[in-house]
Amino acid sequence: MCAEELDFVEKYDLLGCIQCGRCTGGCPVALRTDLRVRCFMYDTQNEERLEEISEKPEIWDCTTCYTCAARCPKGLEPLEVLIGLRSLQIEEGKVQPTVRDALESIFKDGNPWGSPRAKRLDWASDLDVKVLEPEAEETTDVLLFICCTDCYDPRVMKVAQALIKVLNAAGVDYGLIGEDESCCGSEVRRLGEEGLFEMCDEENVELLNSFNVNRIVAISPHCYNTLKKEYHGLKVPVLHYTELVAELLEEGKLEIPKEIAKVVTYHDPCFLGKQNDIYDEPRYIITRIPGVEFKEFDRCRERSLCCEGGGGKMWVESESKEERLAEIRIEDAKEMGAQVVAVACPFCLLTLEDATKVKGVEEEMQVMDILELLAEAL
Amino acid sequence: MKDIFVLIEHRRGEMRDVSVEMLCGAGKLGGTVVAVLLGKDVDAFADKAAGYADKVLYVNDAMFENYNSELYQKALSALIKEHGPGLVLMGNTAQGVDLAPALAVELGAPLVTDVTAVEMDGDKPKPTRTFYGGKLDAHLAMKDADLYILTIREATFQAEDPSKSGEIVKVDNPVSEDVAYRKFVEYVEPEVGDVDITQSTLLVGVGRGIREDKNMPVVEELAQAIGADLAASRAVVDAGWLPSDRQVGISGKTVKPKLYLAVGISGAFQHVTGMKGSEVIVAINKDPDAPIFGIADYGIVDDLFKVVPKLVEKIKELKGA
Amino acid sequence: MNMVVCVKRVPDTSESEVHIDASGKDIDKSRLSFGINECDNYAVEEAIQIKERLEGNVTVISLGGKDSDEVIRMALAKGGDDAIRLEDDAFAGGDALAVAKALAGAVKGLEYDIVFTGALTDDDGYAAVPVALAELLGVPHATYVKKVEILEPGKKAKVGRELEGGLMEFLEIDMPCVLGIQTGINEPRYASFKGIKQAAKKEIAVKSAADLGLDAADIGEAGSWAVLEQFTPPVVGEMAEILEGEPDETAAKLAGILKEKGLV
Repeated sequence: MCAEELDFVEKYDLLGCIQCGRCTGGCPVALRTDLRVRCFMYDTQNEERLEEISEKPEIWDCTTCYTCAARCPKGLEPLEVLIGLRSLQIEEGKVQPTVRDALESIFKDGNPWGSPRAKRLDWASDLDVKVLEPEAEETTDVLLFICCTDCYDPRVMKVAQALIKVLNAAGVDYGLIGEDESCCGSEVRRLGEEGLFEMCDEENVELLNSFNVNRIVAISPHCYNTLKKEYHGLKVPVLHYTELVAELLEEGKLEIPKEIAKVVTYHDPCFLGKQNDIYDEPRYIITRIPGVEFKEFDRCRERSLCCEGGGGKMWVESESKEERLAEIRIEDAKEMGAQVVAVACPFCLLTLEDATKVKGVEEEMQVMDILELLAEAL
Repeated sequence: MKDIFVLIEHRRGEMRDVSVEMLCGAGKLGGTVVAVLLGKDVDAFADKAAGYADKVLYVNDAMFENYNSELYQKALSALIKEHGPGLVLMGNTAQGVDLAPALAVELGAPLVTDVTAVEMDGDKPKPTRTFYGGKLDAHLAMKDADLYILTIREATFQAEDPSKSGEIVKVDNPVSEDVAYRKFVEYVEPEVGDVDITQSTLLVGVGRGIREDKNMPVVEELAQAIGADLAASRAVVDAGWLPSDRQVGISGKTVKPKLYLAVGISGAFQHVTGMKGSEVIVAINKDPDAPIFGIADYGIVDDLFKVVPKLVEKIKELKGA
Repeated sequence: MNMVVCVKRVPDTSESEVHIDASGKDIDKSRLSFGINECDNYAVEEAIQIKERLEGNVTVISLGGKDSDEVIRMALAKGGDDAIRLEDDAFAGGDALAVAKALAGAVKGLEYDIVFTGALTDDDGYAAVPVALAELLGVPHATYVKKVEILEPGKKAKVGRELEGGLMEFLEIDMPCVLGIQTGINEPRYASFKGIKQAAKKEIAVKSAADLGLDAADIGEAGSWAVLEQFTPPVVGEMAEILEGEPDETAAKLAGILKEKGLV
């Protein structure tokens, strides 16, 4: 047994759990899968059963949305117990082939999508962008950290392209990393691949620190969260793009000339809202667009419903046949008459857009990143 | 010029096409073309081969009822030593690849496998073959020797009508005893599923580009809209997203539907071999350099996840109209 | 059961453009990533699974420079026991025969029941190493193997070879033997990063041509059946008519063509 297993109880403070059940009560996936996180808080206290418990398929249902931790009266993080159990499976090599392929691809090509590093900047091939040189003498204000999904997914690519349009309009001094950019490892950690995450941490911190920049702006809340809270030794502050764009609007550096006369709602990404308390900036940006009629979901901000795109779920299919949370979300949006569901995360974009197709509302309702909405109004 | 040996490949009562192709191709290289046939009571194949060869060496023995690399190697080695050909051709098939390298090592004869083109420089062949999954052609120089062996990719040479009537020479089996260390047991047919894609008139072929099992509905909807059956490349079957009886290619089925709509298939040789006889081939792939566009009639260079749903829509509209 | 599994580190060109370099005899590998040859990955898994069922020892062998340690360690992390890497400038430019000779030199010094290799490599695709290796070792072989059943450990196995059209040919084969493994025979496991790091503690014995008792004339270009004269881009047939436009337009054009031809 390795050291991690021996101090499972200590590592996750399992004896501090009072079995109140608020974690399971708040867990969004408990609505549609067998996952009962409270049970895991209890069962994993018996270290001899860890291996057996880690074989339970529902440990892979967790989206690591953080609701359980946010609601725990004892300040515990039940989701971390599930990640710990995943680690045991990873050590044994027992993971779904899709997870295996994603992790191997990150190790080999620096992205989970099985695409060559040489194509990492293809999304910007028609754009005039600066690729930063390490150890440059001149300081660049903003380093853009582009998520792998934005680099390779043809749909999400448009969000990164919109970001460039917005920054150009505001005259921001920014640069890209280019082909040397690698996966942040947020999903790697959440899939339980601790060792590979440590590699991401070390290599990315070294790379990022080599650039002469004032700040790093991440396009995805997952990258943002990891760079900001989970990396060791980054020298400059990390922002999410909504923070930068809100700042540009506030300082009058970005004008929005066109009108978008649509009913727009906003879906809070878990990694931006629940995990980093960024609720106001996205709403500020959306409501600054002329013509927009903004409506809130009933379940918004801290109570926002997870889209099920995080926690490595892009590579793990749940066995549940129940309606996906993203579909519930789209139904709610339809009920309030939203024409656009705005998001600020690549995974939310993909899961919610899929759900509009499942629900057959893709004609009447668009899922757009805030950046796309903004770029349209420029 | 020395003789060229062409090993006739047959299995379960059928002579394989590549054998005739090689006999025809060998005829153009110069030299006497000798068909070598090992089998049990396969006189019909000897007759057929004679139509393309200057001579047929026919060993009729129960030992050769089913292919066994060890026995084939012993027999061929003896025949080669006796007759002294300068070149031996075999199909680059599951049989040829299982046999040729061992024979080449035994006889000290340079071997190049999976040859797609060959020219002769006197008695010495200059072969071309592909590297990196068909992305490059490699031109090779073989070492000087008295004997060369090539395994020839299917369809490298064109089969033509028979134009010869070679002499059929029945040869005593040069192998005196059977081997015990490798024994044929049985053939097992691939499992038969609900659909026989060799009988389908419309097929949607899905490849690695689909990326994940959970994306399969994208192509399922397309197949449904067209009224087609789903076929797959090797990668998709290896991943378990479709059963093996849907695999098209050398190690899968050969299909000749009216329409083969290749979605996310790059067009590796092994797949193309199984579907190139389709009447109309359409390819949707985001890589403009994908070899599939070289054999397709129509192509769309774009992300399949964007195009296919639109295509489903348009087809439904047309059908509704 | 003592098993040997041969692995090769190859560039991944499946989704990348391949450019011929200035020499015309190699490709520009600077922008390519590398990993274990696909079939070899299945060969490793097969050996490890047999070891788990029947106990035994798995020795990993790779011919290549220090970079190849990465794929060796991955195989060790999955359950391999020992490793040998064959490194010598004299190995350069070798084809399947030269590689088989080097591998045979390494395998001869080991006790083995089965040597596993991939059926073919993703780079040159000769598919000749397993069969040539068996002949050099003087043991029986089977390649394109997609099923292995051990009938008597150390003595006899039943293997299924994948033939054209999905047909399987089953045969019984005596050990020791060499099996060339085809993709799809199993589901390769994941090697965790930590496992690979731990595997780095295991010693990889590095052997030169001289250590294997091989003469320079036997290996590399000199010991090959054929040498590469030059690469050229493949000759493409008549290209497809490419439908241009946004997805909306291309889809409409295609639907129109299919309708016109009576296919929908």
